Amino acid sequence: MSEGDQELRALMVRYQGGSVEAFQEIYLQLAPGVRRYLSHLAGRSEIADDLLQETFLQMHRSRAAYNPAYAVRPWLFGLARNVFLMNRRAARRFAIVHESRQDLPEFPVLPEADRLGSQDEIRKCLANLAPDQAEALLLHHEWGFSFEEIAGMLGISAAAARARASRAMADLRMALNTLQRARV
Amino acid sequence: MRDQPQKPPESLMRAIARDLRPVRPSPQPFHLALRMVPLALLVSSLILLAIGSRADSGKLGPLLTWGASSAQFALAIALVWIAAHESTPAGRLPRQIVYSVAAAASLVVVLVTLITFSTSSGNPILPVPPRINEILRVSPWIMGLACGIGSTVAGGILVLFFSCVFRNAIATRPSVAGALYGAGAGLAINAGWRIACPFSTPWHALGAHGAAIVATVILGARIGRALGNRRLQIGGTHS
Repeated sequence: MSEGDQELRALMVRYQGGSVEAFQEIYLQLAPGVRRYLSHLAGRSEIADDLLQETFLQMHRSRAAYNPAYAVRPWLFGLARNVFLMNRRAARRFAIVHESRQDLPEFPVLPEADRLGSQDEIRKCLANLAPDQAEALLLHHEWGFSFEEIAGMLGISAAAARARASRAMADLRMALNTLQRARV
Repeated sequence: MRDQPQKPPESLMRAIARDLRPVRPSPQPFHLALRMVPLALLVSSLILLAIGSRADSGKLGPLLTWGASSAQFALAIALVWIAAHESTPAGRLPRQIVYSVAAAASLVVVLVTLITFSTSSGNPILPVPPRINEILRVSPWIMGLACGIGSTVAGGILVLFFSCVFRNAIATRPSVAGALYGAGAGLAINAGWRIACPFSTPWHALGAHGAAIVATVILGARIGRALGNRRLQIGGTHS
């Protein structure tokens, strides 16, 4: 267990005890990452802000459901995913979300892929990956979750999470190489 | 591209400040699953006390009477344990495990039914007036209906109990989580009910008892879905 993770668990326990300062600290530490994750899921940054607020509201309502045996970051990212899925179901936005993937304003750019192309090219290639593969890739490389944590969030095995991420990375490399060759 | 830390919006802080009472952390999935045991045992014991043990239990032997029921009960606990995992955003189990245990539970019910029938397939005589025994012999669906409704009601009580235990759950697939604890409830009740029910024909065991398990699965799924919708109502105000 990392020091940061330990600190977050302690904050979460204080928050469950009724500390508003602990909530604010959790928000400060986790909101930027969760917002970018939601932005990736939704493909639109204007929805991400609403979903972020809803995620923290849900965290507040469900704070009793948190068990300190779990790491806080994957728990909150998993909750954010639930909020996104529920929002998508409620609004029947699935088609719109996928149509709008052509211009992704805040699609994260992988640090590992940075040298392979411009940020716009990487975003474009990421947007063309299969959504489940892109999600596993970003959760691992962008947000630093272990494959076990990703498995717990997505309801798949750790091996499947690893396979999705590496398949996505291979596809991304191939797409970027194709783009580079076309440029030359 | 890294975002700068930002303060929570005022509207969010107002909502948080409205309710900051201390809460008790949820137990871990296995402890949550163990909470079903006392109530499930109580309901099963009440059924056994009310109806009595089946007359052919000597012929079936302890392994097929108590052993098979214990196996079903253990599977019921496993199903509720999986439901508890399914209800935790970061603790979900791989789908293969979820579906394998669900399939194993169905298989065990069918196998136990067939083995019980092959060991003791005689027509049971109930401790009731002969005229009623004759009616039940001519119209076996009456006993089927009684067993089906009885075990559905008993399973329904357990499902309602689970709904209370899981009310804070935040499942990605609330219907699946609900169906799993519904299956756990149905199986736990069937584990007790089959020791009391004297009928071992596959038609009765799978038709009536099986239908009761299916009914609790559907009930669990519907309650799970309703709870999930209520909890994750975007922009809602439930707590």
